Amino acid sequence: MSRRVVQGAVLRVDPLLCEGVGLCARIAADAIDLDRWGYPVVGPLEPGALAQARRAVKACPRRALWVEEPAAR
Amino acid sequence: MSETMTWFAPDRTAADPAELPPLAPAGPPAVASAAPVLSVGSPATARLLLADAWLSLVGPAVPAGGPGAGLTESAIAHLARLGPRPPGTRALVDLVERVGLTGHGGAHGPVALKWRAVLRGTGPLTLVANGAESEPVSAKDGTLMRQRPHLVLDGMALAAEALGARRVVVWLHGDDDGARAAIEHALAERRHLPGADLPVEVVSGPSHYLSGESNAIARAIAGGPALPTLRRFPGPGEPSTVVQNVETLARLALVARGLVPTTVLATVLTPTGRRVVEVERTVRVADLLTGVGWSLGPPPQAVLVGGYGGTWIAWSQVADLRMDPEDFRAAGFALGAGVVVPLPPGACGVTETAAMTAYLASMSAHQCGPCLFGLPALAGSLELLASGRAPAGELARLHADVRAVEGRGACRHPDGATRLIASAVGVFADHLADHAEGRPCQSVPRSVFPMPQEQR
Repeated sequence: MSRRVVQGAVLRVDPLLCEGVGLCARIAADAIDLDRWGYPVVGPLEPGALAQARRAVKACPRRALWVEEPAAR
Repeated sequence: MSETMTWFAPDRTAADPAELPPLAPAGPPAVASAAPVLSVGSPATARLLLADAWLSLVGPAVPAGGPGAGLTESAIAHLARLGPRPPGTRALVDLVERVGLTGHGGAHGPVALKWRAVLRGTGPLTLVANGAESEPVSAKDGTLMRQRPHLVLDGMALAAEALGARRVVVWLHGDDDGARAAIEHALAERRHLPGADLPVEVVSGPSHYLSGESNAIARAIAGGPALPTLRRFPGPGEPSTVVQNVETLARLALVARGLVPTTVLATVLTPTGRRVVEVERTVRVADLLTGVGWSLGPPPQAVLVGGYGGTWIAWSQVADLRMDPEDFRAAGFALGAGVVVPLPPGACGVTETAAMTAYLASMSAHQCGPCLFGLPALAGSLELLASGRAPAGELARLHADVRAVEGRGACRHPDGATRLIASAVGVFADHLADHAEGRPCQSVPRSVFPMPQEQR
């Protein structure tokens, strides 16, 4: 997740809402890793992972995820 | 390098002289005159903020001795020393920018920057003076409120007027009865003085480590729990809260009068107790320690700067640094809120780091997974390493967990722990390797740093 993708979309998590359900990492395996306690590690998205990430956002039972898009020009 | 910084060069012309009372205090400072000139360096007259106080090892800043013990500057003495405060106007924003006033809660962010962001808001504003000093060793805010409550209240009134705050709150730890008494007494005195401050609420929050965190305070002041939350900018017309450390406000009260202190407040842990001192920013760390009685033996192996959520710095790197936030920053470190904790001879940095991490883990708000699970995991690894009973690979696991926790909480609490551990790994690298290979320190006490009572 340390790879910087300039100007791309970024997947974010609200750590207060996240309960480590882990559904997101199953849906968006290319975008999300779980840490060893089961909480998602998120960050800049590869363009190819954007669709997955959006599905994960919709699926999150805690509504803890969102995709931050770069500002529209 | 620091000579070029306005912060270190008090520029009394920065303030408009026409708006200011006379610069020279009327007569010698009432409190500082009681203090002998210490070897730490500042002449008594330079101490605008506080007189030295000696405190117990841990707990609220109840003075046990020193020139500042039991001193509380009355409203009359305060006025005789500094004169009445000028009104708080928008011009104050430019003034704090010119003199480079920074936040003294530890982050040293520019106050003017924060204020300009606040002034862009359109909703009702609450100003909070944060006196809930949570680092177990730090006692400078508590000492300041006890000795110079009127300086803090002047700063609050100035900031409230300059920013147009509707509500003004002093936020304290629930167990800090002495600070509460000093502030309340000072507020009662001020009712008999000319000039109108906004009414001030004094609120005692929980005594928890995180109840001094600014988002937790903003949440509590708005009627919620005193727990950290995600930083978020208020929308148009929404209520907002600005939290300033009490020392920052005391400095504001001086700056508005054209007096720019060239000093920092520091809390130094010694084997017999804490020393709260106001020292010139040119004083070296080595001289600060000598000044409070650390000259008796060999120099410490390392010094913990910034408190239990701070960083270890090797003696060779820290000894010649000046007690100056900019000097620390230039060297890649942070002075934070001025907490200086030398590692006593014979103590073990790994053992102390394990104990401090366990304390920080116990002080988690238990809201975010990476903090709730990560800090105990880090504390557990360090405990195993400290005892020399760590299985192979434990050091690698510690490194991985530091990376897994860093930056993943809603607040900065877990980052304090990971920063502490990362610094320990660097400063005590060889020593930690010995521990990891089953060769712990022989005959080392469990932990010598004081830990507060569990407060959850």
